[in-house]
Amino acid sequence: MSACDPHGHCITCGDVGVEMRVVRLDDDLAVCEAADGDVRTVEVALVDGVCEGDRLLVHADVALVRL
Amino acid sequence: MRFVDEFRDGALGRKVAAQILGVVEPGRHYKVMEVCGGHTHSIYRYGVDDLLPENVELVHGPGCPVCVIPMGRVDDGIAIAREPGVIFTCFGDMLRVPGSAGTLLDAKAQGADVRMVYSPLDALRIARAEPDREVVFFAIGFETTAPSTALTLMRARAEGLRNFSCMCNHVTIVPPLRALLDSPDLRLDGFIGPGHVSTVVGARPFEFIPADYGRPVVIAGFEPLDILQAIHMILAQLAADRCEVENQYTRVVPYDGNPAALRAMAEVFELRPHFEWRGLGFISQSALRLADAYADLDAERRFAVPGVRVADPKACQCGEVLKGVIKPWECKVFGTACTPEHAIGTCMVSPEGACAAYYNYGRFVTSSGGPSL
Repeated sequence: MSACDPHGHCITCGDVGVEMRVVRLDDDLAVCEAADGDVRTVEVALVDGVCEGDRLLVHADVALVRL
Repeated sequence: MRFVDEFRDGALGRKVAAQILGVVEPGRHYKVMEVCGGHTHSIYRYGVDDLLPENVELVHGPGCPVCVIPMGRVDDGIAIAREPGVIFTCFGDMLRVPGSAGTLLDAKAQGADVRMVYSPLDALRIARAEPDREVVFFAIGFETTAPSTALTLMRARAEGLRNFSCMCNHVTIVPPLRALLDSPDLRLDGFIGPGHVSTVVGARPFEFIPADYGRPVVIAGFEPLDILQAIHMILAQLAADRCEVENQYTRVVPYDGNPAALRAMAEVFELRPHFEWRGLGFISQSALRLADAYADLDAERRFAVPGVRVADPKACQCGEVLKGVIKPWECKVFGTACTPEHAIGTCMVSPEGACAAYYNYGRFVTSSGGPSL
């Protein structure tokens, strides 16, 4: 498998969104944690009023929607 | 896990399957296209098609951006990657897509500095860390991925990074759907709409399908119950002689999409007059390029690229697979000359590709109905 992520998905296809929880905010960036423990710095400029503890759908390190 | 376990419940799945059986008309054959590669992957991973009546056929659509990239664009990327001083970055799935003379991985083996990244923001970090090198990001994907590229380019502009540029291969979902609906090769009864693309574009762009072509669309999530419920909603529309866009994935998809993402895309990109899709040919206004305001960050203007159209290998039938005209196992080289380890066609490269999904989960049968491998 040639996938980028450990679950065998293709990152290029936008339909591999990852649900992540906001751990810490830093302007338009947020440190987010996925259920499997993966931690990434995520751009949150496209979702209004993101707060710590919010659950976001993240694709390619960009939050697309609050869940 | 919340919103996952509930949507993988086998008992509930069988219940929805029984509801599907209740709305199908005996003797009628239904063809439902799942637009997304993500849906194709889930269908074969979880065996969704095993729960469907025999007269409900799932047809795999062109919604895998890796699968629709033509060989000439791969050649263009490799030409840039071979430029002295360039660090060429792309998603991992693209590394093994064949061009006319090899893949990006081959170019890496021959000395080009090709690096896999998880996001365009990772490519930007490399550019910051390597100010003396030219860092190029090979952007690919539908509207879900395009906002990420747009924000990265806006950030590069704001930071004044001069050693970062983007080779843009982003495509849009509506034009190929219209091309498929106009194709005489294929009669479809309805569409499972793309879930996460719709988080960005919303549901409205799909309203032309019921309005102009009289086919229902149901936007769906990616868990097995999401897909089963969407199929039920499509078939229920057909049974009731209704035809509209419905949203099964309301827990994620707002009907109007994400306006901030659309604004970012509108600032950074403009439509290309034409773009070549593997298997579908040239489709007008179906892809994005950098707008003039971002021309200085456009790798295709910064570097010389061949820009030559390359025909697909004769043995490869990715085009027919992408149009849903044939099933993956009906391709002459499926599972023999073309495997995930040694892919000839793009549909076998990406895990979201229909051929790879069939191959990896072993859910394919021959025309005689038995397993083929």
